[in-house]
Amino acid sequence: MSGHETRLEHDLTAEQGERFREYIHEHSGIHLDEGHTDSLRISLMTRATRFGHESLDRYYELLVADETEFRELMNLITINETSFFRFPAQFEALRTFVVPEILDTRSPAVRSFRTWSAGCSTGEEPYSIAMTLLDAGIDSLGHHAEVLGTDVSTHALERARAGVYPPRALLNVPRDRVDRYFEPTATGHRVTDPVRDVVDFRYQNLIKGPHPSALMGNWDVIFCRNVTIYFRIESTRRVVESLFERLNPGGYLFIGHSETLTGISNRFETIEVGGVFLHRKPTSAVRASVPQTPRPARAAAAAEAPQVPVRAVEPEAPASEPSDAAAHLRDARAFADNGDFDAALERLTEALRIDPTLAAARYILGLIHLRAGRTDDAIAEFRRTVGADDDFVLAHLNLGNLHRSRGEHAEACREYEAALGALERSPDGAWSEFLGGFEPEVLIATCRRSLDQCQRIGGRG
Amino acid sequence: MASARILAVDDSPTILAMLEEILVSAGYEVLTAEDGAEALESARNGKPDLILLDVMLPKLDGYRVCRLLKFDQKYKAIPIIMLTAKAEEQSMATGLRTGADQYLTKPVEPERLLEAVADELARAEG
Ligand SMILES: C[S@@+](CC[C@H](N)C(=O)[O-])C[C@H]1O[C@@H](n2cnc3c(N)ncnc32)[C@H](O)[C@@H]1O
Repeated sequence: MSGHETRLEHDLTAEQGERFREYIHEHSGIHLDEGHTDSLRISLMTRATRFGHESLDRYYELLVADETEFRELMNLITINETSFFRFPAQFEALRTFVVPEILDTRSPAVRSFRTWSAGCSTGEEPYSIAMTLLDAGIDSLGHHAEVLGTDVSTHALERARAGVYPPRALLNVPRDRVDRYFEPTATGHRVTDPVRDVVDFRYQNLIKGPHPSALMGNWDVIFCRNVTIYFRIESTRRVVESLFERLNPGGYLFIGHSETLTGISNRFETIEVGGVFLHRKPTSAVRASVPQTPRPARAAAAAEAPQVPVRAVEPEAPASEPSDAAAHLRDARAFADNGDFDAALERLTEALRIDPTLAAARYILGLIHLRAGRTDDAIAEFRRTVGADDDFVLAHLNLGNLHRSRGEHAEACREYEAALGALERSPDGAWSEFLGGFEPEVLIATCRRSLDQCQRIGGRG
Repeated sequence: MASARILAVDDSPTILAMLEEILVSAGYEVLTAEDGAEALESARNGKPDLILLDVMLPKLDGYRVCRLLKFDQKYKAIPIIMLTAKAEEQSMATGLRTGADQYLTKPVEPERLLEAVADELARAEG
């Protein structure tokens, strides 16, 4: 790097190295051992210098707070890091749960079990998948495995195709698998033919597309682990969307153990199997881009985030008729809970077009304005909420808070009183779904206290 | 513990108001914040004795806030209780490694919340 250079005060101390390694491991699954110290040090110095940081502790703070910077660093440190049976629990889940479920539930006419390893690096992942499928006894069940590995690194793909690995690479492979699936050669351990026969490799860039036709679809399982951690969030959304489209209904997406789909996609069902979280494409023909909606929640159960089923559940009947305002409302809520406010707004508008008196839709609209700092709009929307349903307690409460923060104490008091009145009249109205699971008593106390304070400051009462 | 000061962080104003209500009526002094950046600021300047931190927050998520504080010699002694919705439980391991002192799943009962707060305060004292 040229240009302005700041000298770093210190070299990487052992303690700092440990802290960075731990952080990197936790967030990428990539474990940097002693052998990587130099590459770690050089990468850290390069990035820290770039920000004019004179100490690596300062840079650590930046790293922790800034996701983009973490990706930049990772790009420097390592790109092809991978291993056989990386996070073994995922392969166990594939063998004991995913394969049997998919084979059980699909048409007996389909004979191949197709798995795509997207971002396969030097081949350890697709070979591990192939070994797992063979171990699952796919052949004896009359099916055959097809595994495709793709990557942007031609250098990595070359090594993947060669399929010969140094002894060090096999350290985490159980003895019996080494015996079954590798043969020693002069240059290292070579993956045996029965495994190689089911694995194919191809160049492909997940970000750029277009996808070669071989990649178009019908995948039963897609592994895309520790690849999108290097991407910007919009790219990750696009990639995951495209993976979703390419999966068979009922197919599974495996992502890295430290990765999440939160804020990326809400089209998958999340299922926990033996401590591993799997993401399944629903089998029913759910309309495009409709999020999984929480069950029509009873007040007490209405936590603020969509619920995760602990086990696979049969998908419910298609969410709704498009003309159903309540369905749009549910979708909007799910989008809003996921932080996708644009999508939420779209649904709310649609819901209100069908039923302009839908108080809950107005309320969410108000919350979105509030979140964005548009307090005038928020007030207007909360007003409309109580216009549609005067018993919508939470809208009164929000109005009270907004007026109070503007020093309009008389108005604030009126709203708190209205909230209390509404609470008495309809303690479990439509609004109670938004209570986050708290008991109405807490809310009553909250309104009383706010009213009290307001009266004292405002010189009433 | 006459009047410990507690920083409550949640992005929903109504939930935040209820958390405040529960804590105030138990005799605590309460600071509030609605997003991660505000939480960090308030944790650094408001000298809270304990922090109740929601995970899903705009700007900086709860984990990051927690990690930044626990990384810092000056603030790492402040007990942090994370509030999480069910869907986030999978991140629990991350949260614990992040250095959070305790975890509560929403919806949380007021008694349970106060118990956890008292426990953590006592532990920090002792
Ligand atoms: C850290 S490795 C992960 C390998 C393997 N999936 C695993 O989890 O062990 C990331 C791989 O993603 C590949 N990659 C990065 N950007 C990509 C893109 N846009 N399209 C396809 N592969 C990409 C890199 O070349 C690298 O081999």
